[in-house]
Amino acid sequence: MANRARASRVCLGVIATAHGLKGEVKIRCFASDPTALTAYGPLTDETGTVNYTVVRYRENKGIVVAALEGVRDRNAAEALRGVQLFLDRSRLPATAPDEFYQADLEGLPVRHVDGRALGTVIAFHNYGAGDLVEVEREDGGRFMVPFTADFVPSVSLADGLRIKADDEWIYSDRRSRERS
Amino acid sequence: MPRSVWKGPFVDGYLLKKAEASRQSGRKEVIKTWSRRSTILPQFVGLTFGVYNGRKFIPVMVAEAMVGHKLGEFSPTRIFVGHSAAEKKTTRAPGAAPASGG
Repeated sequence: MANRARASRVCLGVIATAHGLKGEVKIRCFASDPTALTAYGPLTDETGTVNYTVVRYRENKGIVVAALEGVRDRNAAEALRGVQLFLDRSRLPATAPDEFYQADLEGLPVRHVDGRALGTVIAFHNYGAGDLVEVEREDGGRFMVPFTADFVPSVSLADGLRIKADDEWIYSDRRSRERS
Repeated sequence: MPRSVWKGPFVDGYLLKKAEASRQSGRKEVIKTWSRRSTILPQFVGLTFGVYNGRKFIPVMVAEAMVGHKLGEFSPTRIFVGHSAAEKKTTRAPGAAPASGG
């Protein structure tokens, strides 16, 4: 539910650690393209009160190394470890049809195509075989389905997601728990 | 040393049968399997497997670029949660008072 409360802002990355002696930081970037760190203006922390402006950045072995405005030495950079960098949702560009910001979908209710309530979207994953949507059922169990039109035929920000999957798949974790 | 070419790719026989049955039925279903060692064949493209990772089944939708890899490569068994200093908390457990020295 915390995700829904913060849906007006999107987390673009988190400061992992300091890099070098000149105040640079390593950022674990959650955006599909690291240019998003500079493209939409200053970023804020979780409270929305402190602004961080990325002056320049480069990619180093899949991690973004960035210089932030006002951070000039390693001590200042180390103090920022763990800071999440947020952006106002309104500043992001509009999405194409059938394209969604994951932050908008997290927390939405999930129903089966036959109308049964199944649970809530809690996360998205990608292990190399396409995006997966993870759903938490009301009994606390979880399951994942590929985020494709075959398995998720309907996506609506107002009504939530409709999922088409067998009960055997939806409740597969329950069965393995009963067996063990 | 790589697997000899003359042997061909390894796939568990039962998985081949399940995949063939699913393809013929035409239903979009997740084929549950424990066979992480099976190679992805061209005839698997378009099918979705639920590959067991020791705890749960991870859906793997097979695309053309995945042919030749093993199913297990797309179902990680360990997930790095990360070290975040800000999130680390410690809780003192209730219980007996610490023994005093001397």
